[in-house]
Order: sequence, then structure tokens, then C-alpha cells
Amino acid sequence: MNRLTLRHALSEIVLHGVLLTIGILFLLPFVWSVATSLKPLRDLFQVTPSLIPSEVRWQNYTDVLDAVPFVRFYANTIVVTVARVAGQVFLASMAAFAFSRLRFPGRDAIFFVLLAGLMVPEQVLIIPKYALMRQLGWLDTYQGLIVPLLFSSFGVFLLRQYFLSIPADFQEAAMIEGANPFQIYWQIYLPLARPALAAFAFLVVLWSWNEFLWALIVTNRTEMQVLSVGTALLQGQHFTNTALLLAAANMATIPVLILFLFFQRHLVEGITLSGLK
Amino acid sequence: MAVAQLAKDVRAFRSARVGSRTRAQTLWGYALIAPMMAGFAVFFLFALVASLALSLTDWDVLAPPQWVGVDNYARLLHDDAFMTALRNTAALTIPNVALRLTLSLALAIALNSRIRFRAFYRTLFFIPVLTMPVAIATIWKWLYDPTFGPINAALGRLGLPQPEWLTHQGSALIAVVIVLLWSGVGYDMVIFLAGLQNIPREYYEAAQIDGAGALRQFRDITLPLLTPTTFFLTVIAIINSLQVFDLIFVMTEVGNTNRFPTIVYYIFEEGFKNFRMGYAITVAWVLLMIILAFTLLQFRLQRRWVHYA
Repeated sequence: MNRLTLRHALSEIVLHGVLLTIGILFLLPFVWSVATSLKPLRDLFQVTPSLIPSEVRWQNYTDVLDAVPFVRFYANTIVVTVARVAGQVFLASMAAFAFSRLRFPGRDAIFFVLLAGLMVPEQVLIIPKYALMRQLGWLDTYQGLIVPLLFSSFGVFLLRQYFLSIPADFQEAAMIEGANPFQIYWQIYLPLARPALAAFAFLVVLWSWNEFLWALIVTNRTEMQVLSVGTALLQGQHFTNTALLLAAANMATIPVLILFLFFQRHLVEGITLSGLK
Repeated sequence: MAVAQLAKDVRAFRSARVGSRTRAQTLWGYALIAPMMAGFAVFFLFALVASLALSLTDWDVLAPPQWVGVDNYARLLHDDAFMTALRNTAALTIPNVALRLTLSLALAIALNSRIRFRAFYRTLFFIPVLTMPVAIATIWKWLYDPTFGPINAALGRLGLPQPEWLTHQGSALIAVVIVLLWSGVGYDMVIFLAGLQNIPREYYEAAQIDGAGALRQFRDITLPLLTPTTFFLTVIAIINSLQVFDLIFVMTEVGNTNRFPTIVYYIFEEGFKNFRMGYAITVAWVLLMIILAFTLLQFRLQRRWVHYA
């Protein structure tokens, strides 16, 4: 018995050793990025770089804010993300409710067509969508960044699964009371689906915050750029000072990481939900 | 008599109500899906048809598209740049998918044991998944810097060769795959963990009573019962690898040329740098075909190895 527990303790120590090593490898790029973003220029050109800055230069961060409208990038990203999340969650949940809880001719056929949206890579559609934005005069506008990305087949699919798992009794009771389907959706099913909605919403936040290709294509003016595009185009265009580039990269990432620490449970649930259903 | 009449009336009244109720439900159904479907019709169905039509044209955005039939598709066969993009994409997809699944499964199994600080480790491995790909590329580009980057400094100290990571195709491939693994393993790990937690504990207890060792349990219980998860993750990993873009756009752009162009990078370059929109769309359709072919193939093969409980 004693030998068994000893063996168990030993194997746990070994396991911790391996996991910690991998964990440090995972974390090291971030540590290096934060440390380097605080270095003065002379530290960057050393053939044997050291992790610790010779002097901590917070000014690198304000230099980024002075060189490019980084605060504007933040604002753009937040506006676009909030609008995409609100739009996607509302449109997808409403459609998902109808597809799962109402009966109407052609319902399953329409849903099937919608699922085709999951099969087609966005690159096939991106040029016609870009052409449409040009035609509408929506290049370099918020609506150009937001509207084409509001319609998520994935969201309908995910939320429909969840609505199907809610017992139909609620719906029947409400109908006898004389509630119309929109009221049933809005007042009964949406609140019941809150865990799934939160999980989906967080997935959309994450995707939208980091989204790059569409934003790169539909915006040209610096004032309309989002964080991902602004950070990518800093390179070569504005400066070659790596400390500033990394300061920008860190600033672009930090909000999502903070959000994650608060909503970790929702995100993990969302990812699991999207992976297993 | 009167009672029978009443019953008939009630029935007629009911069926009329049910009839109007189904009619109302039909209308409501269409009304509630209408906003979603309107957007879907424009930004998916219409865009898809337009995309197919445009792939048969020459189009520089400014002048109206010129019909060229299947010329764009024929041109692909002799386009060295396209072949390079195709080769690079294939070269990163294979090791990325294989290593990503192996590593994430190993981590998931380690975290599924009753080890302490599980949540801490899970968070640690998951952080890169949340990080903006553009930021990831910026960070790693610096880490790979041949002269001043820490990776080559460490290799130098160990007396190992110090490659110009991102400048040459071969080393760029290794560099890109490492970053893809670093940023993708956490996602697969979380899904594998959920899959592992769905395997009933009794199976393992029964196997232990039968005297099966850890390896045997892994081979005969864990692996087979995990196959639906593995299948899903393989499909997703292949699709994601075939579509890598953000990372390439920032990381392997050295001195104004991209040293490791992938298919999606090539689509972007042809469309939005060279303004050959028709040709760019054609490349996108080839990508669609490849993705579709792989996905269908996997769904076909799954019968041989995926066990649904």
C-alpha cells in the first residue's frame, strides 16, 4: 500500500514536471513579448539578447499611441464587435427558435440550405461581397465591416440544437395563454437558453475581435481600421522598432485575455458545445 | 341528439382553431426566419452564384468583367506561383494536423487524471487560442529573428545551426508549423477533455478488474470511445490548415515578398494586390473543391474507424 502511494506521488511529480515545462514553453513567447515591448532601442540589437530590459521604457506604449490612432482602432474594434455580437445572437436565435419550435412548410429544406453555409470557405465569397460593398459605397464604413458578417449559419445550427433540448411544455402552455410565437421566443425561450447564448456570444466576440481578412479588404483609411489590421500594417509602414510593434501586439490582445479570465467557463462551454453537438 | 350536435360543434370549432393556428404558425415561422434568410440570400446564395460567374471572367474591379470561359481554370495548371502556394499549404497541413491531434490528446489525458492544478494548466495551454493571430505573428516574427531573436541566440549557445527561419521555404515551414501548433493545441485539448469526460468510469473499473494495464485501457477503451471527437477534430484541423492566412500575411513577409505563400495568401495577392479578381476567385474555387473533397472523403472513411456509442 505504501509503495503504491509512493509510486502514485512520484508519477504525479513527473507529470507536473512535464506539464510545467510545456506550460512554460507556452507562456514564454508572451513573457518575451511583454519584456521586449519595454526595452529601449539599444537593447534590441544585441546578439545575445537578455530577457530583462536594461531600463523599463513604458514610453514605447505611448509612442505607439502617438504614431498611429491606436485609440481609434480600439473604438472601431469595440463598435464592430458589439454590433456583430448583438446582430448575430439576435438573428441566429430568432431563426433557430423558428426552425426548432414552429412548424411551417419547407422548414427542413430551408434549414438544410442554410447549413450549406457551413461548407463553403469564406474566401470563395469574399470578392463578390467586396464588389457589393463597393457598389453600395460601403467601403471604409462601419456598415461595411458589420452587415455582411451578421448572418451566421453556425449560430442557427448551434442554438437550434439547444432549443430542441428545451421541453415543449413551455411553448404549449404559453400558446394556450394566447402568447404569439415572437413573445414565446423573446420571453420564454431566450431566457431559458441563456447559457447557450452566452457561450455563442463569447465565441463571436473572440472571432470578431481577431478577425482580419474582411477588415483588411473593406477598409483603407487609417481611421476605419480595426486593431488586427492596424497592428498588421504597422510593420514596415510606420516603424521598424520591434519594441513598438510588440507593444501594439500586446495592447491588441490584452482585452480579450481579460474578458476570458472573467468568462472562462462560458467560453469553454461554448467550445465544447460547438465541438460535440 | 343535442349532445351529439354539441360534440360535433366543438370538434368543428377546435379544428377551425387548429387550422388558423397552423396558418398563423406558418406566417410566424417565415417572419422569424426572414431577417436571417434575407441576409443569407444576399451574402451567401447571391455571392456564391456571383462568385461562380466571376471565376469565368477577367476582372480588375474598375472595368466591367470580361468573359473568358474556363481560361482561368486552364491557367492554373501552368501557374508556378499557384503550385508553390498549393505545395506550401499541403506541406503545413500534414504535420500540423498529425502533431496537433497527438499533442492535444496527450495533454488532455494528462489533465483528465486526478492531478492538481488542472484548471491552471488548462488556462495556460488555452491562452494562445484566444490571442489575435496578427499579434501571434508579430511576436513570433521577432522570436525567429535570425540575428537578434532569442531562438537563434539559444541555438547558438547550444552550438546548433542558426537558420534564417522565415527567409527560406524549408525553415519557414518548420517555423509556421510550430506557431500553428502553439496556437491550436489548446482548442483541441479542451474538446478532447470533454470527450474523455464522457467516457463512463465503469469501463475503466471493469477493465482494471480484468487486469488490463494502462496501455491496454488506452488502446481498447479510450481511443475507440474517443473516435467521434477525433473525427470531428481531424475534419476541423484540416479545414483550418488549408485556410491559414493571417499568420502568413504578417510572419513570412520578408522584404516585401512573402517567403511562404499559402493558397489563401495567393487568393489575397492575386485579388487585392494584382487586381486579378476573376483569377483570384478561381483559386478560391479550387480551395473549395479541395476542402469539399477532403471532408467527403473523411465522412466516407469514418465508417471504418469511428465508433458511435
